[in-house]
Amino acid sequence: MRLAFGSRQFLALLFLGLAIIPWVANPYILYVANLALLYIILALGLNLLVGYAGQFALANAAMFGIGAYGTGLLEVRLGLPYLLAAPGGALLAMLIGTAITFPALRLSGIYLALSTLAFAMFSQWVLLHWYSVTYGGGGFRVPNLDLSPLPIGPDLGIYYLSWVVTLVLVVLAWSLVRSRIGRAFVAIRDGEIAAQSLGIDLLRYKALAFALSGFYAGVAGALYTPLLGYISPEGFDLFQMIIQKSMIVVGGMGSIVGSVIGATVMVALLELLREFKSTQEIVFGSILIAFVLFRPRGIVTLLRRLPGWEEPLSSFDRRRYVVSGPASPAAAAAATGLARAAAEPARGEGR
Amino acid sequence: MMMFGYLLASGITTGALYALVALGITVVYKATRAVNFAHGDLFMICGFIAYTFHVMWGMPYVLSLVLAVAAGFVIGALAERIAFRPLMEQSLVSVLLATIGLSFVLKGIARGIWGGKGDFIPFPPLASPTPISLGGILVMPQQLIVLAGAIAVMLLFAAFFKFTRLGKMMQATADNQKAAKLVGIRTGRVYMYTFAVGTSVAGAAAVLMAPITLLYPDIGFVLFIKSFAAAVLGGLTSIPGAVVGGFLIGLIEAFSGGYISTNLQDVSSYIVIMLVLIFLPQGLFGGRSLRKV
Repeated sequence: MRLAFGSRQFLALLFLGLAIIPWVANPYILYVANLALLYIILALGLNLLVGYAGQFALANAAMFGIGAYGTGLLEVRLGLPYLLAAPGGALLAMLIGTAITFPALRLSGIYLALSTLAFAMFSQWVLLHWYSVTYGGGGFRVPNLDLSPLPIGPDLGIYYLSWVVTLVLVVLAWSLVRSRIGRAFVAIRDGEIAAQSLGIDLLRYKALAFALSGFYAGVAGALYTPLLGYISPEGFDLFQMIIQKSMIVVGGMGSIVGSVIGATVMVALLELLREFKSTQEIVFGSILIAFVLFRPRGIVTLLRRLPGWEEPLSSFDRRRYVVSGPASPAAAAAATGLARAAAEPARGEGR
Repeated sequence: MMMFGYLLASGITTGALYALVALGITVVYKATRAVNFAHGDLFMICGFIAYTFHVMWGMPYVLSLVLAVAAGFVIGALAERIAFRPLMEQSLVSVLLATIGLSFVLKGIARGIWGGKGDFIPFPPLASPTPISLGGILVMPQQLIVLAGAIAVMLLFAAFFKFTRLGKMMQATADNQKAAKLVGIRTGRVYMYTFAVGTSVAGAAAVLMAPITLLYPDIGFVLFIKSFAAAVLGGLTSIPGAVVGGFLIGLIEAFSGGYISTNLQDVSSYIVIMLVLIFLPQGLFGGRSLRKV
């Protein structure tokens, strides 16, 4: 008899819990929960790119900023309503995210990391110095969210909007990693040349990974704008980069549930230490080092020990098929090392 | 002409410092094929240590330089133990993540001990601020001291690398790790010394630089990126390349800032990194690398 508590149930419970938060919590907790939702989106996007597709890029904070600025500037400069400006901001981030792929295709490892880092610094500089468009270092205010036909205030409005969007994006990421696309990402991560020899088009899938991650970060940015009501370049700096990186490392690289857990935990920690910048830096840096050293697959490896836990194509964990179905023929095959080939048909039969 | 001379002098001076930091990045990359993202922050910490000795405790400048170099050696070795050694066998991403983590820890420590938000800590100048004329170019005596110091450090480093036993072991390890191990070199230890020496050089650069710029906790990462641009321009595996790249980045920054727009000064090195990586990935001095299957 299998315990029916897997990653699906975990996510369902988490989202139910988040849905009732506005009824039980004060405005500050509501704000933190909203922030957690946005960071879940950011962590998912980054994990698709880094954890699944294996592209170690450092420009995610910049895409987040581009999404936020795109949305805010469309509202303020062009007077678009939020519901039009937000997709615009997200698309802008996606386009720029894809555009930086073309050099990225030629680069890997350290070169990719550093060129995307240089891009992130460059875009930070643009936000600060292109005063005639971005209002420079002082930032600017954006109008309150107005969902006027709906009987809902701006705070609750942005919360439930974020909740819905996050849920959709979690489901999308979940389905993506199970699909042909997710498998192609993992194949590229595990060996580019092997993936190529299997007929996977590197350019197309890498571009797709960058586009997806840019889109996720852009959506998070578009939601961030009305949540804060105010944008300045400060929120999208290097520290933002380390926050997002530590989220996916703490949660679990190459895991959807891991991204969700990592984002939630790190947002809570960030808020607890909000007063002390130097402590924040020391704590986040140390957590990153500690996890890379002692638990490189993140918190999610603890959950995988639970009986009945399963997650589609969760990566970086060779033993996953042994854990997943003790009663299935896969278990016997797993013991002989044929796990990977045998587990897929076994799962299919189970459904 | 005056403007040109002024820009030339300041470009060469800052370039010398970038060259020193780029040297550390290159040496570590050559030996370990990893980039130490915390290199700039190690530089920053060494600068603050020298500040503590020199300004807060009143020790002579040269003594605090020596102490900062020694501290850099120890901290660099520690950094290798924490963020590189345990991850050597794992993926590159782990090493990068760990050094990024280390860089933020160092930044947080510096912010906690020496300065809060936006504090810039001045370092007293060593020479009088009156410029002197050198072949028609006005130069600050301070710049000459920095340049002389930087060149001395470079020569010392080259001599160390070429003539000492440890330097030769580093070369051998960088060249072929397996072969080095076969002839009895303890490569693990060599990696540690490589990090340590690289950080010492950065420490010397920090102490030389402190009197002309200011020290602040966020300087590390900016300096790391600029020096990385220098190292990439030089091919990332070539030590003379790193030096030439450093001077080039310094000059590009000074001239683009002086003649085009002061805003460009900061951003030019980011543009250089992106352009070089896209169009000239082997740099000016790097050898061709084979694609490994």
